[in-house]
Order: sequence, then structure tokens, then C-alpha cells
Amino acid sequence: MKYVATINDDARVVEIQNDGDRWRVRVGDEVWDVDARITAPGVYSLLIDGVSYTAGVLDRDGVCVVDVGGESYEIVLEEQTRHTIRTLGGATGGTRSRTLTAPLPGKISRVAVRRGDTVQAGDTLLVIEAMKMENEFKASGAGTVAEVRVTAGQAVNAGDVLIVMG
Amino acid sequence: MKIKKLLVANRGEIAVRVVRACRELGIATVAVYSEADREAPHVQVADEAYAIGAAPASESYLVIDRLVQTARRAGADAVHPGYGFLSENALFAEACAQAGLTFVGPPATAMRRMGSKTAARTLARELGVPMVPGTLDAVATDADAALAAREIGYPVMLKAAMGGGGKGMRLVRRAEDLPEALRAARAEAGAAFGDSAVYLERAVVEPRHIEIQIVADTHGNVIHLGERECSIQRRHQKLIEECPSSFLDAALRARMGEAACRLARAAGYVNAGTVEFLVDADRNFYFLEMNTRLQVEHPVTEMVTGIDLVHEQLRIAAGEKLTLGQADVAWRGWAIECRVNAEDPFAGWLPSPGTITSLHAPAGPWVRDDSGIYEGYTVPRFYDTLMSKLIVWGADRDVACERMLRALGEYRVVGVRTTIPALTRIIAHPDFRAGRLSTAFLERVLPDLRPNDGRFAPIAVIAAVLAEHERARDIPTAPESAALPAWRVAGIRGWTRP
Repeated sequence: MKYVATINDDARVVEIQNDGDRWRVRVGDEVWDVDARITAPGVYSLLIDGVSYTAGVLDRDGVCVVDVGGESYEIVLEEQTRHTIRTLGGATGGTRSRTLTAPLPGKISRVAVRRGDTVQAGDTLLVIEAMKMENEFKASGAGTVAEVRVTAGQAVNAGDVLIVMG
Repeated sequence: MKIKKLLVANRGEIAVRVVRACRELGIATVAVYSEADREAPHVQVADEAYAIGAAPASESYLVIDRLVQTARRAGADAVHPGYGFLSENALFAEACAQAGLTFVGPPATAMRRMGSKTAARTLARELGVPMVPGTLDAVATDADAALAAREIGYPVMLKAAMGGGGKGMRLVRRAEDLPEALRAARAEAGAAFGDSAVYLERAVVEPRHIEIQIVADTHGNVIHLGERECSIQRRHQKLIEECPSSFLDAALRARMGEAACRLARAAGYVNAGTVEFLVDADRNFYFLEMNTRLQVEHPVTEMVTGIDLVHEQLRIAAGEKLTLGQADVAWRGWAIECRVNAEDPFAGWLPSPGTITSLHAPAGPWVRDDSGIYEGYTVPRFYDTLMSKLIVWGADRDVACERMLRALGEYRVVGVRTTIPALTRIIAHPDFRAGRLSTAFLERVLPDLRPNDGRFAPIAVIAAVLAEHERARDIPTAPESAALPAWRVAGIRGWTRP
């Protein structure tokens, strides 16, 4: 399972695999071998290389609050695909690509622009429904819409080109 | 007259504290509870408990008639008011007396004399106890206030005449801010104390808040039990208290103690009380106000003097003489108290009510946790945010600080945000450790008070991911615990564990 953890404005990819009570957790480039037990609801006893940590974990409005070592952390956790959808919303930006492609399979719930429209940065281009979420895609820069290849209600696959900017 | 059965007209940790003292003295106890508090710990620890009304305090814990009736119906012969609520309400003390109930606190006359801040200031002036310059009476109009403020000199502090706990207090630096501050202070005072009268004082810049604990019996004996320093405050509400103060020497302690006893004696004060002073950088002390009740922070005095203040209160109320003279009071070592509140210290101290899903309280040598919560308890949104008071003792201040850090490290509350991470960082702060305190300390260090230094970031991420993984896996098994009837789940430790 892959997640993206955003902590102190820093996003890291986290991958976990388990074998009973032992977990292999990859945080960015580092791999941690973790013996984890839940000792009380929301309380995690972690043994990592013999070092003992006890963490209290509270989920509050989608933000994970973790108290450990006298410090308190707020962590936003997203399943990786979901994170990709959210942050790739500006896929039309940059010099490398002037096309908006679907990052994962879903259904177009709304197309907000037509061919020939001029858009500013932040304008909504279209909305894809995926993983039961409405994911809004916005223009990352100003430009003209050269092509709209999808219509509302249409199913799309990952990698499909949705909009081409002129 | 010996007390046989006592009604505690309060809730939370202080109600539990009073019940404990009663049990140690062989006094039966009666708890009262609002609709929001049926599952509160004080209901469980008392011998009897009776409902007194709806959740808002104004419909339960503040209804004098109902409390008095409940006490009589339960056959109680005494009432302990705790702190807050009706503890400084002379009408309540009188109503108890009229119903033949011993009120564990000062007589209504002394309460009026000292409880009204303006009357207390008049008395202090007569006795030559030093005071911060200010108005003796409440200011009637905005124009009067503006005039008085100009005479006293800015910055001025607005205070509720009937106040306490920081409510109705406003610091005003400039004349143009006065009208708005007056309006806000009056509204807050009216809501909190049913009396919107406010008075003015010159604001002492970066003072220390140091208070003297006194006890007085009905035979005219008054002694003091030394000081508590309560300079660590946010919005005029205390967060960390200690005994003794690193700022006082024996001579200053004796002078402040003597002034406090003089005031208490002149007011005809009986029972435990606290005289609050501001102490400026040159060690001048100024009378602030008297709290005619047991203070939240009383345990630090108990730990250092070895005197159980609630026991003393109950003995005094029963008409017994003080067992100690001033010369018998000795101070040993150092005690610190931290207030563990259901608040988010990194989001403006916003209240954080909710259910405590997991709780591990600290223990071990010289650690005391005066708590009003348990695992599975829901902190109601109707009352103040204090969940527990963590008190430690050490041979000296350094030992006490290290012990407090150790104990805070053991304290784990899951389900609500708490002040614990902020308390940890304050105690560890170099200025706190060096004893460089003032009531402006917290506001000064707050911007730098971050929830973390990133030291444990990977560990926190690992714990969060494990929890998320667990949640995703666990959701289908939820019906099992949901099948438990609500009354079985509530308040019974361990039953809700998977």
C-alpha cells in the first residue's frame, strides 16, 4: 500500500508491507523495520532497531494528530493515487506538456471549458469523479483551449488525453 | 460540630478531590450532577449522587435553591463549593447557613468584604497593604473610565469587580481602545458573574503573579502557608504553578505573608483563602485581590508544606482550632503543577471537547495526578476545559522540572487535543528553567512554541500510516462493538477495547 504523508508542508511517499506484527515501512528513501503493537485504542508501541517509541494517534477531520516523544505532529495522509489527482490538477502547466491527461480511471462529471476559450491560472478545466471523489482540475497558467476530447458522463482511462491547450 | 455528610456543589477534578478528603476523614459524600455529567467521575466516587438539572451551569451547578434542597433531602449537614461556580457567591453561603448547612468556606460577610474586588481594595488601602494605583470603585460610565485611566496612566487593566479566572479582564494600552475594551469586559463580566461592574488599575509591566495561601479558624487564628508563583498564564488564566517562588527570599515571604494575614484578620476571614499579589522586577509587591475559596493550584502548597488543605478546610468548618501555629509551618523542596486542559495550544487554545479513547496517566515517585477524567469519558462542551492537574515534587526546582518533564512524557491522552505538548515545551524552555518568569512569559514565547522540532517526524509518519492501515482494515469489524448497548460502553474501562 502506498500513501503520501504531508507533514510540516513536506510530502513524502510512504509504502508499507506487513508480515504479522512486523512492518516494512519505506518513508521517502529510507526503509524502517518496525515491530508495531496496538496497546490501547489509538496507542501504538513501536520497536525500531531496539528503540522503543509510544505514539498516540488521533484522527481529527481527516488530519492525523500524532503525539510522540513529547512532540505533536499533524499529518495529512492520502492514498497515493488520490494525492496524485489532487496535486496534478495543474497538468497543463510547464513547457513539457500542454495537455491534460487523466491520472487514473474515472468518469468525467463536468467539462468547464470549450474549444477556443481563454483561461487564466486557477480556472477550472474539468472535473473527474474517481474513488467516490469529485476531483477538480485547474489550469496552471493562462492559455487558449485548442481541443476538448471528452464530454460529461464519459468514462476515461488513466493516460487518456482530456484537453489540449494551444 | 462534627460534619457527618457533605454535599459537593461542584464537578470535575475538584469534586473528586473533595470527596477523597471526606473519605479520609470519615465523612459521607453527596455528589450533584447535571444532565451532561451522569457519567462524570465525581458521580462515581461519591457515596450518593443526585441530578440537579440541565447541562448549562446556569440550570444546574449555579441554581442555589436546588443545591440546598438536594443537600437537605440527602441529609447532608455541610456543603463544599469547590472553586468556580458558586464558591464565591455570598448568597449561596447565606442560603446554606439559613438551611442549617455548614458552608465550607468563609462567612458571607467576609466573602462580601473580600470577594468584591473594589471593597477588598478599600480595606487594603485602610490597612496600608501596598496596591497598584487604580479606582477603588467600579467605573460607572465610559467618561468616568476615560478620566480615571488618564489619571492612573496607560497602560491600564480593566477588571471585573466580581471577577476571577481572567474573565472580564482587558489590557488597554491606548485611550482610543478604551471604549471597546470596556464594552467587552462588561459583557464578559456580566455573562460570567451576573454583574458587569468593572474597575481600572495601572497595568504593571511584566509582573510576576505570586499569591499567599492563608488559613484562618473561627477562634481568631490566622496563619499563612507561603506563596505560589502562577506567572505562566494565557489570557489571564493560569497554566503552570509552583511553590515556592524562585523570586522570593524568606524576608519577602514573611512580609507578604504578614500582609495577607493582616487583610484576612481585618475582613473577619475564616477558612482557606488566597491573597494574590503582583510583584514587579524590583520585588515590590502589590495587593491584587483575594480569592475566598480553595484555589485550583492548592496542591503545590500541600506538597511542600505537607498540609492537606481540604482536611484543614473541613476541620475549620467544624469549628476546630488550627493545629499549627505560624512557626510550625515549614517548606520543604519544590512542587510544580501543570494544568492538563482539553485545548489545542497550537490553535489559539481552542477548546477540544470529545471522547477520550485512550488514557494513560503518569505515576511513579512524587507524582500526583488530580484527575476528573477516565478512559472512555466524554469531555462535555459545557464546562471549563480542565481535565486534570499534574503535580510533582522534587528536592529542588531542577529536580521538580525534570520530574515534570518525565511525568508529562508518560501522560497519554488520545481522543482530544491537550495542553501537554505545550506544557512540555514551556517547562523545557531555558527562561522557565532559569526562573525568568512573568505574566507576559507565555505570550512572549508562544510564537516560537512549535508543536514539534521535526525530530520524530519519521516515527510520527509511521504511526499515522499504521493507524490508517488499521482503520481501513478494521471498518468491517465495527458492528461487533456497535452491538454493545450504550450504557455498557459508557464509563466502563476496558469494555470497549477490541
